[in-house]
Amino acid sequence: MAKERRFPYAREVEIPPEMEGWEEMYPPHRLFSAERQDWEDTQFWYQDKIHAPDPMVPLDEIFHQAWQISLAQHTTRVFCIPPAQGVAQRMLGCYMYICAITPPPEEVIKEKAELFPKRTFPVFEHYDELWEEWLPRFQDLGRELEAVKVPEELPKYVPDFDSASTLPEVTAAQQLLEAWDKAVDIMYRGWQYHFNYLNLTYLAYLMFADVARKLFPGISESAIGKMVAGAEVSMFRPEEELCRLARLAHAEPKVAEILKSDRPAARKIESLREIDAGRYWLEELERVKDPWFYVSCGSGWFHYEGSWVNKLDVPFSYIKSYIERLDKGEKIERSLTAIAEARDALVNEYRKLIKTDEDRKSFEDAYRNTRTIYKYAENHLFWVEHWFHTIWFDKMRQFARLFVKHGVLSDEEDFFMFNRLEVPYLIEDLATSWALGENIPTLKWADKAARRKQILKAAARWNPPPALGVPPEVVAEPFTVMLWGVTTDKVQDWLKGVEVKPEEVTELKGFASSAGVAEGKARVLKLLEEIVTLEPGEIMVVGNTNPAWAPVFSKIKAAVTDIGGITSHAAIVCREYGLPAVTGTGTATSVIKTGDIIRVDGDRGVVTIVQRANA
Amino acid sequence: MNREIKMTEYVLGFEQITKASLPVVGGKNASLGEMLRAGIRVPPGFAVTTDSYLEFITGAGITREIQNILADVNPDDVASLDSASAEIKNLMGNVPMPSAIAEAIREGYARLCEKCQVEDLPVAVRSSATAEDLPTASFAGQQDTYLWVKGPDTVLRMVQNCWASLFTPRAISYRIKMNFPHEKVLLSVGVQKMVNAKAAGVMFTLNPINGDPSKVVIEGSWGLGEAVVSGAVTPDKFVVDKVVFEISERTISPKTVECVYDGETGVIHREVPSDQQAISCLEDCEIIELVQIARQIEDHYGCPQDIEWAIDRDFPFPENIFIVQSRPETVWSQRPKSPVLGGKTAYEMLMEKALATVKVRL
Repeated sequence: MAKERRFPYAREVEIPPEMEGWEEMYPPHRLFSAERQDWEDTQFWYQDKIHAPDPMVPLDEIFHQAWQISLAQHTTRVFCIPPAQGVAQRMLGCYMYICAITPPPEEVIKEKAELFPKRTFPVFEHYDELWEEWLPRFQDLGRELEAVKVPEELPKYVPDFDSASTLPEVTAAQQLLEAWDKAVDIMYRGWQYHFNYLNLTYLAYLMFADVARKLFPGISESAIGKMVAGAEVSMFRPEEELCRLARLAHAEPKVAEILKSDRPAARKIESLREIDAGRYWLEELERVKDPWFYVSCGSGWFHYEGSWVNKLDVPFSYIKSYIERLDKGEKIERSLTAIAEARDALVNEYRKLIKTDEDRKSFEDAYRNTRTIYKYAENHLFWVEHWFHTIWFDKMRQFARLFVKHGVLSDEEDFFMFNRLEVPYLIEDLATSWALGENIPTLKWADKAARRKQILKAAARWNPPPALGVPPEVVAEPFTVMLWGVTTDKVQDWLKGVEVKPEEVTELKGFASSAGVAEGKARVLKLLEEIVTLEPGEIMVVGNTNPAWAPVFSKIKAAVTDIGGITSHAAIVCREYGLPAVTGTGTATSVIKTGDIIRVDGDRGVVTIVQRANA
Repeated sequence: MNREIKMTEYVLGFEQITKASLPVVGGKNASLGEMLRAGIRVPPGFAVTTDSYLEFITGAGITREIQNILADVNPDDVASLDSASAEIKNLMGNVPMPSAIAEAIREGYARLCEKCQVEDLPVAVRSSATAEDLPTASFAGQQDTYLWVKGPDTVLRMVQNCWASLFTPRAISYRIKMNFPHEKVLLSVGVQKMVNAKAAGVMFTLNPINGDPSKVVIEGSWGLGEAVVSGAVTPDKFVVDKVVFEISERTISPKTVECVYDGETGVIHREVPSDQQAISCLEDCEIIELVQIARQIEDHYGCPQDIEWAIDRDFPFPENIFIVQSRPETVWSQRPKSPVLGGKTAYEMLMEKALATVKVRL
């Protein structure tokens, strides 16, 4: 018997000494531990490069804590997908690992099989109405978060009050404590909503993919993706609004001139305010800003990414290039009707190839149901990860400013160095010190924050193993198969990646997510801010992408991602733009170096390193 | 132009041919005419009709003799087959072609040369049997093909050779075993401009491996298609989705031998230069164009096709792509069309999916 093929167990992974102390950044129940080792060893853990490609900033970890509960419970307790259990998380060396838990005992599967149809089928039947209910419910929640009042400071004395009638019920210190609890509650609730329909959406997609493969044994993932993709989805709106604003500006030469100049967005706005047409344009901008500029410049998962609305230089640079393209007489908008028509025509062609009426009927039914609910996958992303998270980060900065103002932290950034269960310590420490009187010291939170920043920097330089433990025999969890793309081949390739030195790898396999072949210079973006280094015509190699990156796709020749199936953002947008894409390679960002000449074969899902940059 | 096909028509230009002409021009030629009408790029040419053949064997008075020779043949006895075949071929080769037919063929060839503006235009002379190419009787490849034929005299000789090729030992034995009367097999001959093939091969409008109707599978190699058809090389293989045009499989094989025309000795097999062997014989744009054409042909006939193609080195893309033959696919088309989804509803299939686990093998 050959040696068992496995990845290291968490305890065997050597973490660089510069990262010493990383464990205390995360709640203890989120770490691998001797106490739970027996169970942890029976599961297969892999790094979540979709949602946590970078070292995990403690406060930003809240989303993961929230989804661990919400995703799992919708599978296990709400919709009861029979053999599937949840996706568990663990932190190791500042990176997040996840696992699809092995199936439950047979009798539980039986029980769930009874419940599943009763609970899910009506969702498909009424999805459109359910969405009509979901969206305002979610929007209300976002507004509620926006309305949470964070005191700007803890005043030396509470404002004057009329002692004859009422005394102050509470002080700013209490408001601060309450605001924090409220913000966290809303965030958790938002993530409950996030999974209301997502599990079923993924399941439906997998069902439809099976149908397509039975009818057309060799059909590619990318072709299946094209069949279900929607055109009228919220995710495309931010870019549409940019195009519209660019057109408006293009029609007013003076406005266009200002927007095309090489100045920061703030200066451009000043100049625009000085002319009528400029003021009109700014009004239009204001009108669409909320929600359509509440789109993260990154994935939406990290506070430092920022969003268009608070990093206007980003959308303004896109607007500039759109106006320039309009000057050249190019068309900048993608016709949504044309996209939808092309998709319908494509589905129709496959439909015509089906040999029997009986199969055509089943296909039709499967397609209709899948399309109905698939919109959720495309729409929730904007509203939760972008719009809602933008509001959250803004709120967090309000808290941060208060701590900086009172000298507890050195800068806003420091605040994010504490996880959501630690923040109440900070708040209480500050509130106590304020209440006790003058010159009462708090703990040295700023020093702790500075140390943690160093640890995160060291973590960014470290390449953690893609997976931990023994690969599983079966996977039943729909997200694992579809979103994270865990399949036999994938695990095999990860294993190879571990056994072979990165510089010796010449070929990577992933999902053939968008057709076509392209060869060119690779630009590896490990940290999101490196996006500014990308030059036109390069091939982008990233952990993953998201809607804010959309305009980048008009610059690149092809895209390669570490993790992500054929419905990942990069896959969808590359298909829209007709760029070759290979997603879910597992190790592209560690194997490929910037400057390497690579060939991306989006038809077969293969990336070849043609020539090493320093060879 | 809907010229009526008269009994006395010895030669028909491809442009005069339709599906309905099959009884007089055979499957191959009928299909070429049909494709031409459907707007498919087919090398120009003409068919020597079965009437020519019939008049040749009756007019020359050899029908009875042929029947006599065949009456005593034992299909399992190689020696008996060989001698019968040789005897008939000898008979047919030595009988002079009736002058009216010869004249018609010369005229057809002259018109073709004029059309292509090449003197002594190189042509392919191929048999086109009336019983061939039907989905139920795979007679394909039973008759001879002569490549790079130049000049009217040679064309005439090769047409006569084609007629004689109805009586190869293999063809005789096949017909006896399939219980197909010899006299029912009439032969037409196609005379078609030779494609100066850079690369050539075959393609199917479904995946012959698994019957996937959404794929076009192309096999090709350097030089003339004979290298692929005869199995002399392992061809490059491309599997392409005919709806989204993705190339889902691309196998480049070492193509050691190519079939080319050598000015002096005719068509030869020669070694492919080593730096060419591992290179794809088709550019991506050519692959996509071939798939477009395959779809067009399949749509036209309304059933899966088995198509021969060639890429001419003398023309620019896409005018360099020619279809030299198309016939119904015979394997998967024969199978009963049975549903694969079991008549299930979306909910039933969703339930199935919800119960399923994905096996991970290591």
